[in-house]
Amino acid sequence: MANKKVAIIASSPGLETAYKALNIATAAAALDAEVAIFFTFEGLSIIHKDAEQMLKLKPGNEGLAEGFRKVNVPTVPQLLDMAKESGVRMIACQMTVDVMGLEKDHFIDGVELGGAAAFLDFAFDAQVTLNF
Amino acid sequence: MTDIFVDAKGLACPMPIVRAKKAIDSLQSGQIMELHTTDKGSMNDLQAWVRQTNHELIEAKEDNGVFKFIVKKG
Repeated sequence: MANKKVAIIASSPGLETAYKALNIATAAAALDAEVAIFFTFEGLSIIHKDAEQMLKLKPGNEGLAEGFRKVNVPTVPQLLDMAKESGVRMIACQMTVDVMGLEKDHFIDGVELGGAAAFLDFAFDAQVTLNF
Repeated sequence: MTDIFVDAKGLACPMPIVRAKKAIDSLQSGQIMELHTTDKGSMNDLQAWVRQTNHELIEAKEDNGVFKFIVKKG
């Protein structure tokens, strides 16, 4: 049972990407899967300490803000807490972190830095791989 | 006969199954969880959740827009 694995890459900008990646990750963890998310390029904003300022809805999607409130969707920090609590591994891509001039303390606690191999080592035997 | 009650009414996906998982982790095998939700996707989601987690869905019904589930821990 515990050998179900879900490997997720979050590489796109925006609040939408945060929700897509984190909803699947927290749901997968609730379904007893091991989960790892590899954050790279603009996806790094999701685990940045200033995520709230950095994550915006895509132009044209601003109207969704009201829907998010109405439907009582959890916030990104809440989803990240749930992900951490349920053992989701969060890997920040070392190369893009360096390219963007960022440091480990720009990111929330619980994030590990790693390269493509660190993610692939997990992903090779994952039954589900997703890219957002 | 319910060992834990989880009120997930008003919560959107994926919260109902996240709450369900957290609650059932605190139970012993054979104990019973009752879960109430209003998320319209939860009828499908809960069935998927019990399949994937090897718990047993004893009852699933809708009552005035509230979905009520009785789950036995596997």
